[in-house]
Amino acid sequence: MSESILLGAVAYDPKVVTIWEGIREYFRAEGVDLDFALFSNYERQVATLLAGHIDIAWNTPLGHVRVQRRTEGRARSLGMRDTDRDFHAKIVVRRDAGIRTLADLPGKILAVGSRDSTQARILPLHFLRKEGVALDRVQLLPFDTDLGKHGDTGASELDVLRALADGRAHAGAVGDLVWINEQSAGRIDPQLVDVLYTTPGFDHCMFDALPSLSEAKVEAFQRALFAMRWEEPAHRRLLELEGLREWMPPREEGYDSLRRALEETAEW
Amino acid sequence: MVSRAGAVAINGGDLALGGGLLALLRPALDLLAPGGVVALRSSSAGVRHDLPSWCRFERHTYLECEPQSDGSDLHLVGRGRFAVAYATDAATGEADPHTGFAPLGARVERGGPRYPFTINRRDSAPPPQTTRQLYDQATLAQWDAARDIPWDRVQPLSPIVERAVGQVMTFLAENELSALYVPSKFVARLHPAYAETAMFLATQMMDEARHIDVFLRRARAGGGALGVSSVTTSRSLLSLLELEDFTEAAFLLSVLGEGTFLDLLRYIERHAPDEVTAEIARRTRADESRHVHFGVMHVRQALGCDAALARRLEETVRQRAATLHGVSGVPAPIQDALTILAAGSDEPGAVARGHEAFRELLSDMHAGRLKRLVHAGFTPAQAQLLSELHTPNFM
Repeated sequence: MSESILLGAVAYDPKVVTIWEGIREYFRAEGVDLDFALFSNYERQVATLLAGHIDIAWNTPLGHVRVQRRTEGRARSLGMRDTDRDFHAKIVVRRDAGIRTLADLPGKILAVGSRDSTQARILPLHFLRKEGVALDRVQLLPFDTDLGKHGDTGASELDVLRALADGRAHAGAVGDLVWINEQSAGRIDPQLVDVLYTTPGFDHCMFDALPSLSEAKVEAFQRALFAMRWEEPAHRRLLELEGLREWMPPREEGYDSLRRALEETAEW
Repeated sequence: MVSRAGAVAINGGDLALGGGLLALLRPALDLLAPGGVVALRSSSAGVRHDLPSWCRFERHTYLECEPQSDGSDLHLVGRGRFAVAYATDAATGEADPHTGFAPLGARVERGGPRYPFTINRRDSAPPPQTTRQLYDQATLAQWDAARDIPWDRVQPLSPIVERAVGQVMTFLAENELSALYVPSKFVARLHPAYAETAMFLATQMMDEARHIDVFLRRARAGGGALGVSSVTTSRSLLSLLELEDFTEAAFLLSVLGEGTFLDLLRYIERHAPDEVTAEIARRTRADESRHVHFGVMHVRQALGCDAALARRLEETVRQRAATLHGVSGVPAPIQDALTILAAGSDEPGAVARGHEAFRELLSDMHAGRLKRLVHAGFTPAQAQLLSELHTPNFM
């Protein structure tokens, strides 16, 4: 058994316990002594990683870019989900709101998710600004649900969709994961709402580690992680819960837009 | 084998992704092998936004959107490598415990949980075609305990004959309860690739349930009570219930036990004191002969596949005989009742004839077992030995 690796994850849902108990059991069967600590919010998790009390943090994009910034780009990125790559946000509109293009948004009510949600607030607003939308003339209807969870629960995005459905908002910003899932489940009335705009792609969660993490731990962690297989029943259950089919190697370019957005708004 | 197309074209009209389009798109993708392409014509503007996102989550490849001259779009989607179902038409050899309750012939998505089936080999299960024929016969031959037995014709009998009928019915019901429980143990262990066997066993269990019902009804119909359950019977049936091997159970229960019961039921029909008892014996024997046929076929197939099986079955019969060591003969309550049944009265001359009939029954049972054992694939010498070691409880 390898030297113990302590991983941090945020408990945004009771299933997080099931996921990490299962992954711990799997890692141990692979000869990797993994344990985990749960946090109630990403700010505490990032601070704990930076203080060196945990080896690896399973971070949201906001957590990831903060770790990168505070370690001056020296933090190690270890892996991500296939679904973390090329995430998009959508601007969804009511069909009766008279919004045909982004230029029609000024004067309308735009529902947005939590202020720490990359996909439902930070990046949609960033990309709308880039598209030239005068956001100071758009009335924002914010849903700051589950702050500290960085939008993981999806609750604020469901709030946005409800506001659209019942007419409190003309338009709304949601991540494509929630949008597609809600449509696939038949919970969206396509007669009532439609997609107006899709943002450019950006990347989502990442396993972050301090540069001081030993090469042996990095190797052991990545070896076990990347050996998980969708076709393997015991693995599949965990991968389904965590929302992926395949773990992927890390990449940094997918976070550039988030960094720029945080620079613009000085919300680091 | 389902043929896999390389490309499929579908017309999505103005359907939104969340407005029914997936009901066209997903089945089209399902027709393709990984790398195959679906060409989707769509006039929904929202699909331009939503289809690439959906493909990303489902790990399909959104290839491109070609605007058409009529204003619609032609979206090209490459089928991804995940969630490709595999065929389960390989009924030979070892069945895959990960296919769960998927019927044979269904295509199964990989990654399902492992099921705890233990009868996973084709040669452990009876041949499918004959089993299916027996299942069809069984469903056609179902009868109704209330409607098909002329209960209104039960006549008063002399007390000694009525008691004998009650004892015989008690013995039959007790043994049939074991014949209900023993197959039920194996149904949940059978891989559903051999579903026809589970289905036949279900008919067998339904038959046994009906038999238990009519035997107990008959025991009480003349105003009498149930008879005695002997320790010999109880020991004999426990040794059946404790069997953990499907073929051993089929051999002991159906070939030897129910086989012997065919002769017993013929005897009861011949010597029945009334029409109702005779009809019960006739109908239950017809059902039992199906079970025996199934058991003989099962054992014959298994003997053909496993050269060591005959020896193993012989050992099982020996062990069972050892558990009944010290029991010298048929349990007294059933021996006496069968004698009185054939005598028809307590008059000594009649009882002497009854006793002779009972002795003939034992001889008939032995001859019947020899015939069935040879039919199942044993040599005459093996058949002789196995029949002689068979339980004096008949089942």
